[in-house]
Amino acid sequence: MSDKREQRVDDGLDRGRAFQFSVDGETVTAYPGESIAAAMLAAGRAAARRTAKRREPRGYHCGMGVCWDCVMVVDGVTDTRTCRTEAKPGMRVETQHGVGQRT
Amino acid sequence: MSSLPTDTDVLVIGAGIAGLCTALYLARAGRTVAVIDRGEPWGDASGANAGTLSVQIKRPEVLNITRRAVELWQGFKAEFGIDVGFGRPGGLRVATNEREIDMLRRSQVEQRELGLDTEWLDGNRLRDLAPWLGPTVTAATLCDWDAYSSPLQAGHAIIQGARHAGVAILGAAAATAIAEVSPGYRVTTGAGTITARVLVIAAGAWSGEAARMLGIDLPVSADVNMLSVTEPTAPLLDRVVTHIGGILSLKQYPNGTCLIGGGWQGRGGLSTGVKEIGYENLLHNLRVAANVVPALARLRLVRSWAGFEGVVPDALPLFGPLPGRAGVYVNACARGGYSQGPALGHLMAELITSGRTSLPMERFAPKRFAA
Amino acid sequence: MIEVDLAILGAGPAGLAAAGEAVAHGLRVAVVDDNPRAGGQYFRQPPAQFRRDGGSWFDKEATRVAELLRVLDHPSITYLPDTVVWDVPAPDTLAVAGGERSGRVRGRALLIAAGAHDRPVPFPGWTLPGVISAGGAQNLLKGNRIVPGRRIVVAGNGPLLFVVAASLVRAGAEVAAVVEAAPINRRLLHAWPSMLAAPKILRQALDYRLSLLRAGVPVRTGMTVVAARGADAVQDAAIAPIALDGSVDRAVSETIACDALVVGFGLTPSVELLRLIGCELGYNRGRGGWLAVRSDRMETSVANVFAAGDGAAIGGVEIALLEGRLVGLEVAARLGRAGNAEQRRAALRDQLDRTDKFRRAIEAIFAGPSHYLGLLTADTVVCRCEEVTHGELQARQAEALDSMIQLKSTTRAGMGRCQGRNCMATLASIVSEASGTPIAGLNYPRTRPPVRPIAIGDLLHEPIPPPDLPADPHLPRRQNAS
Repeated sequence: MSDKREQRVDDGLDRGRAFQFSVDGETVTAYPGESIAAAMLAAGRAAARRTAKRREPRGYHCGMGVCWDCVMVVDGVTDTRTCRTEAKPGMRVETQHGVGQRT
Repeated sequence: MSSLPTDTDVLVIGAGIAGLCTALYLARAGRTVAVIDRGEPWGDASGANAGTLSVQIKRPEVLNITRRAVELWQGFKAEFGIDVGFGRPGGLRVATNEREIDMLRRSQVEQRELGLDTEWLDGNRLRDLAPWLGPTVTAATLCDWDAYSSPLQAGHAIIQGARHAGVAILGAAAATAIAEVSPGYRVTTGAGTITARVLVIAAGAWSGEAARMLGIDLPVSADVNMLSVTEPTAPLLDRVVTHIGGILSLKQYPNGTCLIGGGWQGRGGLSTGVKEIGYENLLHNLRVAANVVPALARLRLVRSWAGFEGVVPDALPLFGPLPGRAGVYVNACARGGYSQGPALGHLMAELITSGRTSLPMERFAPKRFAA
Repeated sequence: MIEVDLAILGAGPAGLAAAGEAVAHGLRVAVVDDNPRAGGQYFRQPPAQFRRDGGSWFDKEATRVAELLRVLDHPSITYLPDTVVWDVPAPDTLAVAGGERSGRVRGRALLIAAGAHDRPVPFPGWTLPGVISAGGAQNLLKGNRIVPGRRIVVAGNGPLLFVVAASLVRAGAEVAAVVEAAPINRRLLHAWPSMLAAPKILRQALDYRLSLLRAGVPVRTGMTVVAARGADAVQDAAIAPIALDGSVDRAVSETIACDALVVGFGLTPSVELLRLIGCELGYNRGRGGWLAVRSDRMETSVANVFAAGDGAAIGGVEIALLEGRLVGLEVAARLGRAGNAEQRRAALRDQLDRTDKFRRAIEAIFAGPSHYLGLLTADTVVCRCEEVTHGELQARQAEALDSMIQLKSTTRAGMGRCQGRNCMATLASIVSEASGTPIAGLNYPRTRPPVRPIAIGDLLHEPIPPPDLPADPHLPRRQNAS
């Protein structure tokens, strides 16, 4: 997926050097300090997980860490809130299906 | 919400596990039964417990009652169509040091004499069977009677099942006065007045208060038991886990949440109605749990809560006629009363309908406390 | 155990203002906040790695923020970022946990300045990816300088909608429509005079409105979103008229294509900690629903427990700052450190009264429908965590299991990780409508610790004395005083 740069607001701002991480194997571009969820939205990816019961897609919703809808598997750790987790170069992010495996 | 009938064969005071099961089996025996509760039905100990139906953690005096109860729990679905979220994965009762191992051995011998066989596990056999146990756990007994139900699910299911059997159940109907009439008793409640030939006090921690309305003193006090539940996770532990020291009760439900209890005490008491988390005791409870099953440390705690459980000084059930008041029975305050509830209800129905019980229950009679 | 004069939960406007005032009077202060960076929602800052020249519209508050944040470097301040307050074991003690640290912070006074979150309003499709709360959209913009989509519908009720929409326009996004449930246009004329009480905020409001006008964004009033549709993410939003009694006319609905739908039906104070402490709460829909009952010194019904800012009652940033200062001053005065507190207090109160006049005018303009239950269909998810639909709740109501507590315990609504933040308000509305009991009279499920979900291992860093257990495990155990 390409870097949809126009969703980033760069008025008066230098984000520094772009880097890549992966979401379900596809490359997503981010800038230092951005959250995983923000970088994904800028890349046009809204879905983070599938729910346990209804198998519905969910994504970034409350943006302040209280709704738990944006959780994904980040470098193997399930139930990671992507709105509160900074993207890092080379990070492996995956869609979470159902309940996590915290153990 | 239904309203209170004016007259009934049997009035049960308290819509917890003991009261509702008493009502259910009485209704099946053809009696008209009403159950009143001072608050929400299932609102205290029955809703605020870890759902553990463990036989091997029970003291010897109530071992057979509990085994009977597990059979009844298991049979609820076939017998009444009541789904209580029952599972019987068997349970591990663990020990973490020499003193506890010694206690566990003595308990195993004692239980064998009472006809309950458990399997001793240590070393590799224990690790193979339960790789999720922490290194501090050095021995355990496996009891295939140990089971669980879901207190949340069971409450709704048993209330609906009892209603279906014809039982009238009314919450927010605290008994405020009890008068002897002929024949029976007239009970004034927050939701009207009702006359009953027979009264059953199954009010848990409030049973002392109910007996006092009849002029009888029972030494009932309240524990404030704490429970905690985690976020859901993939299958982590496949047994009910308890601790020989009585300080842990733990299981994972099919929805993935883990429920942690163990009788740790919160703050509060009956006189104030306060039932709050005790900070240090909660941390003790969580530490014991994470010590026995280390993977729990990575799980998020979602909710901790507390509920009153009625208790008498010897911590045995109050079961039988209230001395000096014909037609009044008590079925309350069994420690670990959730697991024993269906059997105690069944036995109480036997006692009321036939004057006899199919298990010896005399030692639990309230008269042991009558001055 | 950290011991201070004033322990503050929340490093937003109210908490920081209180801290600033308190240290100016020589108090020792602790500030606990679960965000990695201070500022709260309003003053949320982009990551330190972003290099800003300060010229952007989005940096217009930069000077004020810098000044506010400076207090955290003061030697009398203990600042605990990235730290959750998960329990209040006593009315003077916050139980905190963050990373490798957990323990207790005790203050001679407590200030709960917990901020607010979006009032949840469920409608078909509100769980779709791309449907984002107004607060979430603001955080994305402020914290990451990213907009959530390229063609965005902004819908709901309240002034925040216009703030969000204007910010999105300023950020270069296409805002397809602003959909406001209240009939605000006919109310604006009457409200002008009182709005002049706070000219600074009024200027800001006009700036937002002008941004929308210049961008040609259609503002649809007296309408609401009734559905979001899409396969794996939102593709369009359906809107329809809504009356003040909550009735929705789906017959005249229209569809707007979008790749993000920002919904904001107003904010609700995060009163969980206040509930847990046992502070008296009142219900006032115009100020967000449940709110703290306070004295004019911002003290709750529990002595020396203060509440300020949007976490006490929705009032906005200027009110939060003033209330925070009042709390700092009051605590200093009680400890005999405030000198001529009376004069300073009067000045702050005067500003607060004028700002509150403006707030009341805004509240009157944006007074919305009495409820949004008309948006629910049987298949609408009400509890997002446990995936409980309105139909399942209705089935329980039909079985007479109809109190909030019974609905919660029989369906698991409110039992998930958001701890009811996204559904309890709806449950209350549903039960209130069905029973005729006003929301303020409903029996709410109790608030219990932890106030935020937190890993068990994170709670176990505090050394505590061993328990006092009876030798016989079958005998009752002693209760714990702390």
